[in-house]
Amino acid sequence: MIDAFILLFQWQNLAFLVLGTGLGIVIGAIPGLTATMLIALTLPLTFHMDPVSAVTLLIGEYVGGISGGLITAILLRMPGTPASIVTTFDGYPMAQSGRAERALALGIMASVVGGVISWMFLASMSPSLARFALKFGPWEYFTLVLMALVMLAVLAQGSLAKGLMGAALGMAFALPGIDSSIGQARLTFGSSTLLSGFGLLPVLIGAFAISQVLRDSNSAATDLKIDPPKKRLPVYWSDIRTHGANMLRSSVIGTWIGLLPGIGGNIAALVSYSTTKQLSREPEKFGTGYEPGVVSAETANNASIGGALIPLITMGIPGSVTEAILIGALTIHNLQPGPLLFQNAPEIAYGIIAAYLVANIIMLLMMWGAVKWIARVVQIPRSTLLSIILVFCVTGSYAVNSSFADVWVMIAFGVIGLGLEAARVPLGPFVIGFVLSPIAEEQLRASLMMSDGDVTEILGRPWALFFLVLCVLTLIWPVIAARIGKRNTA
Amino acid sequence: MPEFSRRTLGDLALCALVIAGSIVLFIGASTLPPPRFEPLGSAAVPRILGGILIVLSVIVAVQAVVARNSESEPSPERPAAIPYRGTMVLIALVVYVGALDFGRVPFNVATPLFVLASGLAMSRLTFRHALFFAALGLGVALLLDWILSTFLFIRIG
Repeated sequence: MIDAFILLFQWQNLAFLVLGTGLGIVIGAIPGLTATMLIALTLPLTFHMDPVSAVTLLIGEYVGGISGGLITAILLRMPGTPASIVTTFDGYPMAQSGRAERALALGIMASVVGGVISWMFLASMSPSLARFALKFGPWEYFTLVLMALVMLAVLAQGSLAKGLMGAALGMAFALPGIDSSIGQARLTFGSSTLLSGFGLLPVLIGAFAISQVLRDSNSAATDLKIDPPKKRLPVYWSDIRTHGANMLRSSVIGTWIGLLPGIGGNIAALVSYSTTKQLSREPEKFGTGYEPGVVSAETANNASIGGALIPLITMGIPGSVTEAILIGALTIHNLQPGPLLFQNAPEIAYGIIAAYLVANIIMLLMMWGAVKWIARVVQIPRSTLLSIILVFCVTGSYAVNSSFADVWVMIAFGVIGLGLEAARVPLGPFVIGFVLSPIAEEQLRASLMMSDGDVTEILGRPWALFFLVLCVLTLIWPVIAARIGKRNTA
Repeated sequence: MPEFSRRTLGDLALCALVIAGSIVLFIGASTLPPPRFEPLGSAAVPRILGGILIVLSVIVAVQAVVARNSESEPSPERPAAIPYRGTMVLIALVVYVGALDFGRVPFNVATPLFVLASGLAMSRLTFRHALFFAALGLGVALLLDWILSTFLFIRIG
């Protein structure tokens, strides 16, 4: 771990971390633009970078992107990222009553505390979890991937069938190309372009950046007019006593919710906010500009990042689309996320952990010192930003293989993403299905080869059986919950 | 057309498209060789996914039809939208990439024109805006061209 910090403090890695965090904060603060989109757009550039620098840049963007959302959530009641939705409940009323600086100060402090506490979980749990995961065989991996996909599909907003459909569609789009097991073309229909399959980067950029730009360009929303904070951001020593327990509890909630696939920072913030409200002696004050509301929401949404990074680096399982993109970043550097990462590339595994902590500290310094200017940057006209983003999308997709075929794939997936969103098919399971499909198939085929096609061998593998049972329970839970609800109302 | 029937039609169209895609999966899988060295083979996963997609499509279609006959849900509030803007931006994007790919138009020429077109599609059509977007596009093009050719040794267009 110490080596990872030493490596991180080399000037180029630190510069990329500062750059990533800064970019993340600005993009995260702009409603409509998300950390996911920023990371997808930056990914092609990391192709030509040293893996440690690439990872530090992306982790900085992730942390900054989630944290930056609080600025517009508090000042405009427009959350920069979905994770900051709950911050608007009390942050905006505080700003309306002339306490914008106090709300921002508490939000920033809470974000950092949430980040640091979840880092402690990340640093202490990851190496031992990775050692434990080394005992997993193909059956365990296959069922784990299946469980993650089902959880993502079930927990995605909207209908269960559409969530599952999104995941299955994503998996289907990952099928064309050379089947590595037999070295033969599959589902290419004679096209030489499809021999290498659909590239991860064009698919990610298309599904997230292009579809979002096309959707945002349809919006008649006017450019933002913001009133930046004028006074210094006030925090007091007494805040430790007043908000300490809330921060600690919200950090634990955020971290554990982040661990579960499919539940993002917004749910973590909501659960934490509800818990704080239930435990409060003054629950009626929540929603009226009450400080613990801002603290619980911002602590939990940042803590969820640390939680989500745990299954990513220990088992190679993404909890959200952003983590799926991070897996893409590792794979383009020929690094396989999972338990072997700690053995094969410890500088990356521990580098991610170290970068997460330092990114939180950089975020604190940047947001504390520059919140006024960040609030001004947010006012850049939407048409200007979106036009530039489109050019970046085209050059980014082209730069991966110097091929326009990738750019056309990107546009096609942009349209597919737009169509899926219009049909209310969640994009998260779609993209994660695309990323996890090759792993799931490889592990299933390896499992069946090892057991001579005997599926019942799974019954003798407790962890595989556990994941499978969890998968089935996740699938049937919405039906059970609906029945219980009906019975209660009757 | 009321929002609810549009939603039902949208769901049915989605199901039709997904079923068509599943048929493509089955056709593609039928051309693959049977398993030789392993129990599963190359065609199994496309067939499994094709089957799952058809089942899910049928469920979504039934849900859409049943929901149509039941009490209609209130439609969620949506922000005001100008749909032609997105279409214009998409057309500009396709023309831009087509010009770079098939027309071999230089990147530094195509990019300012694209930024001008997409920028104007998303904002007001005034001379001042046009001048701004053209200048912005030229700046972005020159910067990206320099970065790509100097650091990544890549030339576009």
